[in-house]
Amino acid sequence: MSEQPPDPNQTESPAEPLYTHPASPFVRTEAPEPVSMHALPSTPSTWNTYRTQIEFGLAMLAYLMVLVGSITVLQSNPDASWRYVVAVLPLAPAALVLVIFIRALGRLDELQKRIQMQAFGFSLGATALLTFGYGFLEGVGMPHVSWTFVLPIMAILWGVGTAIFALRYR
Amino acid sequence: MKNRLRVLRAELNWSQAELAERLGVSRQTVNAIETGKYDPSLPLAFSLARTFKRRIEEIFESEESRRPVIG
Repeated sequence: MSEQPPDPNQTESPAEPLYTHPASPFVRTEAPEPVSMHALPSTPSTWNTYRTQIEFGLAMLAYLMVLVGSITVLQSNPDASWRYVVAVLPLAPAALVLVIFIRALGRLDELQKRIQMQAFGFSLGATALLTFGYGFLEGVGMPHVSWTFVLPIMAILWGVGTAIFALRYR
Repeated sequence: MKNRLRVLRAELNWSQAELAERLGVSRQTVNAIETGKYDPSLPLAFSLARTFKRRIEEIFESEESRRPVIG
Protein backbone atom coordinates (compact mmCIF):
# COMPACT_ATOMS: atom_id res chain seq x y z
CA MET A 1 0.00 0.00 0.00
CA SER A 2 1.50 3.31 -1.08
CA GLU A 3 1.13 6.38 0.99
CA GLN A 4 -0.41 9.26 -0.84
CA PRO A 5 -0.22 12.85 0.37
CA PRO A 6 -3.58 14.24 1.42
CA ASP A 7 -5.50 16.00 -1.25
CA PRO A 8 -4.80 19.77 -0.84
CA ASN A 9 -8.11 20.58 -2.45
CA GLN A 10 -10.02 18.79 0.23
CA THR A 11 -12.07 21.43 1.93
CA GLU A 12 -13.92 19.27 4.39
CA SER A 13 -12.20 18.82 7.70
CA PRO A 14 -11.89 15.21 8.80
CA ALA A 15 -14.84 13.96 10.71
CA GLU A 16 -14.33 14.57 14.37
CA PRO A 17 -14.76 11.56 16.57
CA LEU A 18 -17.90 11.82 18.65
CA TYR A 19 -16.14 11.77 21.99
CA THR A 20 -13.72 14.67 21.42
CA HIS A 21 -16.26 17.46 21.74
CA PRO A 22 -16.58 18.61 25.36
CA ALA A 23 -20.38 18.62 25.15
CA SER A 24 -20.51 15.17 23.64
CA PRO A 25 -22.41 12.61 25.63
CA PHE A 26 -20.12 9.93 24.27
CA VAL A 27 -17.36 9.44 26.75
CA ARG A 28 -14.27 7.62 25.68
CA THR A 29 -13.72 4.81 28.07
CA GLU A 30 -10.61 2.77 28.60
CA ALA A 31 -10.79 -0.95 29.03
CA PRO A 32 -10.73 -1.71 32.75
CA GLU A 33 -7.62 -3.34 34.09
CA PRO A 34 -8.09 -7.01 34.69
CA VAL A 35 -8.72 -7.71 38.35
CA SER A 36 -6.22 -10.20 39.67
CA MET A 37 -8.09 -12.87 41.55
CA HIS A 38 -5.25 -15.28 42.19
CA ALA A 39 -4.61 -13.85 45.65
CA LEU A 40 -8.13 -14.60 46.79
CA PRO A 41 -8.91 -18.08 48.06
CA SER A 42 -11.35 -20.06 45.95
CA THR A 43 -13.82 -20.35 48.84
CA PRO A 44 -14.09 -17.25 51.02
CA SER A 45 -14.66 -17.97 54.69
CA THR A 46 -18.01 -16.14 54.80
CA TRP A 47 -19.43 -18.44 52.14
CA ASN A 48 -18.16 -21.42 54.13
CA THR A 49 -20.08 -20.22 57.17
CA TYR A 50 -23.35 -19.86 55.25
CA ARG A 51 -22.79 -23.11 53.39
CA THR A 52 -22.31 -25.01 56.63
CA GLN A 53 -25.37 -23.39 58.20
CA ILE A 54 -27.56 -24.16 55.18
CA GLU A 55 -26.35 -27.76 54.94
CA PHE A 56 -26.71 -28.26 58.68
CA GLY A 57 -30.20 -26.71 58.73
CA LEU A 58 -31.42 -28.89 55.84
CA ALA A 59 -29.99 -32.06 57.41
CA MET A 60 -31.62 -31.23 60.77
CA LEU A 61 -34.92 -30.57 58.99
CA ALA A 62 -34.64 -33.99 57.29
CA TYR A 63 -33.87 -35.57 60.67
CA LEU A 64 -36.91 -33.98 62.33
CA MET A 65 -39.17 -34.99 59.43
CA VAL A 66 -37.99 -38.63 59.50
CA LEU A 67 -38.20 -38.65 63.32
CA VAL A 68 -41.80 -37.39 63.38
CA GLY A 69 -42.73 -39.79 60.54
CA SER A 70 -41.09 -42.71 62.32
CA ILE A 71 -42.85 -41.98 65.63
CA THR A 72 -46.22 -41.57 63.85
CA VAL A 73 -45.84 -44.88 61.99
CA LEU A 74 -44.70 -46.70 65.14
CA GLN A 75 -47.62 -45.37 67.19
CA SER A 76 -50.12 -46.78 64.70
CA ASN A 77 -48.20 -50.08 64.23
CA PRO A 78 -46.75 -50.87 67.66
CA ASP A 79 -46.54 -54.64 67.04
CA ALA A 80 -45.35 -54.77 63.41
CA SER A 81 -42.32 -56.96 62.71
CA TRP A 82 -40.54 -54.10 60.90
CA ARG A 83 -40.85 -51.69 63.86
CA TYR A 84 -37.13 -52.03 64.70
CA VAL A 85 -36.12 -50.80 61.22
CA VAL A 86 -38.52 -47.85 61.38
CA ALA A 87 -37.35 -46.98 64.91
CA VAL A 88 -33.71 -46.54 63.82
CA LEU A 89 -34.62 -44.81 60.52
CA PRO A 90 -33.93 -41.28 61.93
CA LEU A 91 -30.29 -42.34 62.33
CA ALA A 92 -29.80 -41.97 58.55
CA PRO A 93 -30.31 -38.17 58.43
CA ALA A 94 -28.54 -37.94 61.81
CA ALA A 95 -25.48 -39.59 60.22
CA LEU A 96 -25.71 -36.96 57.47
CA VAL A 97 -25.60 -34.26 60.17
CA LEU A 98 -22.45 -35.91 61.53
CA VAL A 99 -20.78 -35.94 58.09
CA ILE A 100 -21.64 -32.25 57.54
CA PHE A 101 -20.35 -31.41 61.02
CA ILE A 102 -17.01 -33.18 60.51
CA ARG A 103 -16.59 -31.53 57.10
CA ALA A 104 -17.35 -28.12 58.62
CA LEU A 105 -14.68 -28.73 61.29
CA GLY A 106 -12.19 -29.49 58.52
CA ARG A 107 -12.93 -26.15 56.84
CA LEU A 108 -12.13 -24.12 59.96
CA ASP A 109 -8.88 -22.18 59.99
CA GLU A 110 -6.05 -23.03 62.39
CA LEU A 111 -7.09 -20.71 65.24
CA GLN A 112 -10.73 -21.77 65.00
CA LYS A 113 -9.63 -25.42 65.12
CA ARG A 114 -7.62 -24.72 68.25
CA ILE A 115 -10.59 -22.96 69.90
CA GLN A 116 -12.87 -25.87 68.99
CA MET A 117 -10.37 -28.40 70.34
CA GLN A 118 -10.24 -26.56 73.67
CA ALA A 119 -14.03 -26.18 73.74
CA PHE A 120 -14.57 -29.91 73.05
CA GLY A 121 -12.06 -30.82 75.76
CA PHE A 122 -13.79 -28.51 78.23
CA SER A 123 -17.22 -29.85 77.25
CA LEU A 124 -16.12 -33.50 77.61
CA GLY A 125 -14.46 -32.97 80.98
CA ALA A 126 -17.18 -30.74 82.44
CA THR A 127 -19.90 -33.17 81.29
CA ALA A 128 -18.00 -36.01 82.97
CA LEU A 129 -17.82 -33.98 86.19
CA LEU A 130 -21.53 -33.12 86.10
CA THR A 131 -22.77 -36.62 85.22
CA PHE A 132 -20.47 -38.37 87.70
CA GLY A 133 -21.43 -35.83 90.35
CA TYR A 134 -25.12 -36.40 89.77
CA GLY A 135 -24.50 -40.16 89.61
CA PHE A 136 -23.02 -40.03 93.13
CA LEU A 137 -26.07 -38.03 94.28
CA GLU A 138 -28.40 -40.59 92.66
CA GLY A 139 -26.63 -43.24 94.74
CA VAL A 140 -27.85 -41.55 97.94
CA GLY A 141 -31.41 -40.98 96.83
CA MET A 142 -31.69 -38.16 94.26
CA PRO A 143 -34.27 -38.92 91.49
CA HIS A 144 -33.02 -40.76 88.40
CA VAL A 145 -32.41 -38.60 85.31
CA SER A 146 -32.48 -40.11 81.80
CA TRP A 147 -29.07 -40.58 80.14
CA THR A 148 -30.41 -38.81 77.02
CA PHE A 149 -29.68 -35.56 78.91
CA VAL A 150 -25.94 -36.19 78.51
CA LEU A 151 -25.79 -35.02 74.88
CA PRO A 152 -27.73 -31.74 75.43
CA ILE A 153 -25.52 -30.99 78.48
CA MET A 154 -22.43 -31.65 76.38
CA ALA A 155 -23.73 -29.45 73.55
CA ILE A 156 -24.51 -26.56 75.92
CA LEU A 157 -21.08 -26.82 77.57
CA TRP A 158 -19.46 -26.96 74.13
CA GLY A 159 -21.17 -23.66 73.28
CA VAL A 160 -20.07 -22.15 76.59
CA GLY A 161 -16.52 -23.45 76.01
CA THR A 162 -16.41 -21.96 72.49
CA ALA A 163 -17.45 -18.56 73.87
CA ILE A 164 -14.86 -18.72 76.70
CA PHE A 165 -11.93 -19.81 74.53
CA ALA A 166 -12.85 -17.47 71.64
CA LEU A 167 -12.77 -14.57 74.13
CA ARG A 168 -9.18 -15.49 75.04
CA TYR A 169 -8.00 -14.69 71.52
CA ARG A 170 -9.94 -11.44 71.25
CA MET B 1 5.61 -12.98 69.36
CA LYS B 2 5.74 -9.35 68.24
CA ASN B 3 4.74 -8.46 64.71
CA ARG B 4 4.32 -5.50 62.36
CA LEU B 5 1.10 -6.74 60.83
CA ARG B 6 -1.04 -3.77 61.83
CA VAL B 7 1.48 -1.32 60.34
CA LEU B 8 1.87 -3.28 57.11
CA ARG B 9 -1.89 -3.60 56.79
CA ALA B 10 -2.36 0.13 57.37
CA GLU B 11 0.25 0.91 54.69
CA LEU B 12 -1.88 -0.95 52.13
CA ASN B 13 -5.11 0.43 53.62
CA TRP B 14 -6.55 -3.05 54.06
CA SER B 15 -9.15 -3.94 56.66
CA GLN B 16 -8.69 -7.01 58.84
CA ALA B 17 -11.50 -8.68 56.91
CA GLU B 18 -9.78 -7.91 53.60
CA LEU B 19 -6.49 -9.41 54.76
CA ALA B 20 -8.35 -12.41 56.20
CA GLU B 21 -10.03 -13.04 52.85
CA ARG B 22 -6.69 -12.86 51.04
CA LEU B 23 -5.19 -15.37 53.47
CA GLY B 24 -8.23 -17.65 53.52
CA VAL B 25 -8.66 -17.37 57.30
CA SER B 26 -11.24 -15.72 59.57
CA ARG B 27 -11.07 -12.06 60.65
CA GLN B 28 -10.85 -13.32 64.23
CA THR B 29 -7.59 -15.10 63.36
CA VAL B 30 -6.06 -12.00 61.75
CA ASN B 31 -7.00 -9.97 64.85
CA ALA B 32 -5.52 -12.59 67.21
CA ILE B 33 -2.23 -12.62 65.26
CA GLU B 34 -2.08 -8.79 65.19
CA THR B 35 -2.61 -8.50 68.94
CA GLY B 36 0.04 -11.17 69.55
CA LYS B 37 -2.41 -13.55 71.20
CA TYR B 38 -1.90 -16.22 68.59
CA ASP B 39 1.25 -17.21 66.72
CA PRO B 40 0.43 -18.41 63.20
CA SER B 41 1.57 -21.74 61.82
CA LEU B 42 4.56 -21.76 59.47
CA PRO B 43 2.38 -22.11 56.33
CA LEU B 44 0.21 -19.16 57.41
CA ALA B 45 3.31 -17.10 58.25
CA PHE B 46 4.64 -17.79 54.74
CA SER B 47 1.25 -16.80 53.27
CA LEU B 48 1.47 -13.54 55.20
CA ALA B 49 5.01 -12.96 53.93
CA ARG B 50 3.90 -13.59 50.35
CA THR B 51 0.86 -11.32 50.74
CA PHE B 52 2.98 -8.42 52.00
CA LYS B 53 5.94 -9.30 49.72
CA ARG B 54 8.32 -9.36 52.70
CA ARG B 55 10.42 -11.92 54.48
CA ILE B 56 8.94 -13.55 57.58
CA GLU B 57 11.63 -11.93 59.75
CA GLU B 58 10.49 -8.52 58.53
CA ILE B 59 6.98 -9.21 59.81
CA PHE B 60 7.55 -11.26 62.97
CA GLU B 61 10.05 -10.76 65.72
CA SER B 62 10.65 -13.46 68.29
CA GLU B 63 10.78 -12.23 71.89
CA GLU B 64 13.81 -14.48 72.49
CA SER B 65 15.79 -13.10 69.55
CA ARG B 66 16.25 -9.79 71.34
CA ARG B 67 18.11 -11.49 74.17
CA PRO B 68 21.84 -11.94 73.62
CA VAL B 69 22.64 -15.49 72.58
CA ILE B 70 25.29 -17.02 74.82
CA GLY B 71 27.06 -19.79 72.94
